[in-house]
Amino acid sequence: MKFDMDYIAHHNELTEANPYYKLFLTIFLLILTLALDNLYFDIFIFIAMSIVILAIAKINYRSYLKFLSIPMAFVVLTCLFLIFFFGKGEVIYETGIFGIVVTTDSLHYGVYTFFRVVGCLPSLGFLALTTPIAKILHCLATLKVPKIVIEIALLMYNSIFIFLNEIDTMQKAQETRLGYHSYWNSFKSLGALASTIFLRSLDKSETLQHSLDSRGYTGELPVYNPRKREN
Amino acid sequence: MLEVRNIKYSYNVDYQALKGVSLKVEKGEMVALLGKNGAGKSTLFLHLNGIYEPDEGQVFIDGEELKYDKKSLLKFRQKVGIVFQNPDDQIFAPTVEEDVAFGPLNLGLSMEEVQDRVEEALERVGMKGFEKKAPHHLSGGQKKRVAIAGILAMKPEIMVLDEPTAGLDPQGVTNLTKLLKELNNEGITIIISTHEVDLVPNYAKRVFVLVDGLLIAEGTPKEIFSQPEILEKANLKVPIVTELFQKLESEGIDMDNDYPLTIDEAKDKFCELLNKN
Repeated sequence: MKFDMDYIAHHNELTEANPYYKLFLTIFLLILTLALDNLYFDIFIFIAMSIVILAIAKINYRSYLKFLSIPMAFVVLTCLFLIFFFGKGEVIYETGIFGIVVTTDSLHYGVYTFFRVVGCLPSLGFLALTTPIAKILHCLATLKVPKIVIEIALLMYNSIFIFLNEIDTMQKAQETRLGYHSYWNSFKSLGALASTIFLRSLDKSETLQHSLDSRGYTGELPVYNPRKREN
Repeated sequence: MLEVRNIKYSYNVDYQALKGVSLKVEKGEMVALLGKNGAGKSTLFLHLNGIYEPDEGQVFIDGEELKYDKKSLLKFRQKVGIVFQNPDDQIFAPTVEEDVAFGPLNLGLSMEEVQDRVEEALERVGMKGFEKKAPHHLSGGQKKRVAIAGILAMKPEIMVLDEPTAGLDPQGVTNLTKLLKELNNEGITIIISTHEVDLVPNYAKRVFVLVDGLLIAEGTPKEIFSQPEILEKANLKVPIVTELFQKLESEGIDMDNDYPLTIDEAKDKFCELLNKN
């Protein structure tokens, strides 16, 4: 199964819920989790928000696990580094290799950082998985976030999908011709992919500019307010 | 009415994409621009609403010369709408309705008016009900329709489509051709660039042939498709029905120098030949 976060955001039980509530709830929970800095509260938030995501928004648990897995991998790595390579204070465990030790200080850092992220991740996931990006951007626009930031985000968001598609196609084309058959030619193929993508992006951006200009683009993206429907 | 007078355009010093093109399209016409890949069709199209400024030559719309200052450009871009070949190049907004609204909003219309136009345009291309959808979740044919709606919402007088049938499935092609014919009947002048010779006689009253930056022929489909040397130069061929009748002629059936171009014409011709014998 392919994990398509954007598709999930458009197709879940909370898609149509008021995006302001979702945005504020997320920000509130993030601040609260960071401010309290309490391990039990972190776990509580993790469980509570996971329930919201899985049971209320009815998001497939496999998609949710996939969503968690990538940042989790980073967190685990980061925290291991924190535990073994940072901090001063009383030594509580000696690995015996190159004098690497775990101190009370570093253990504290590692554990707290880990649980903080564990608490924050589902809060952020709640917003990211249940709200289409267009709605988030609209919210931010009405909350007086500078227009330039929103326009860049909007154009980037659009480009990401084209970009990913392009990479996907090119990678398949390379694989078809055994481009990733050995270690060495994987490197070469990846290099070729990166440089081609760069050139193509330039090309695409020019065409996009032409098409925007064709429709009277003035350098500022206008905001459209759709008519409220009665149903 | 749209007129292009002796346009020359170079991308760089040693590559001249257009070497002096002149053409005239009357109001309410539906014409096709034929030519092989790299003949300069897309480059020519980008001149029609002032995206490219020609090195030499002028563009006239409704008898008025195209100027390149901001205000005139906005006016001319409202009159001449270009539908790009790849809808992904054109559709950029996160939802369908926002994308369709982009053009009309740039024209500075009231929100009410824009809402009306968006609804009307989406209805027109058969994409009603897709307002809130994200464009990248649509199929190729649907994206194409949204792209057309985005131009329609600007209420152009002239619509320019760059290979609109490229990449569509057969049903998609049929539906699109039907839609374009309808729009033409409603008074929009339509210019289409294409390779699909089979379809051209169905909709185009006039055909232009562009080869290596030069317009080498102009005429009705009948005139163009009866000149093998022009087709040869432009990497084109006659429609498949015509080919059949040319083969029949080489078998000794007298065609009277009149080869059908479309299925309907072929049917009539066939009946006529059957009755004769």
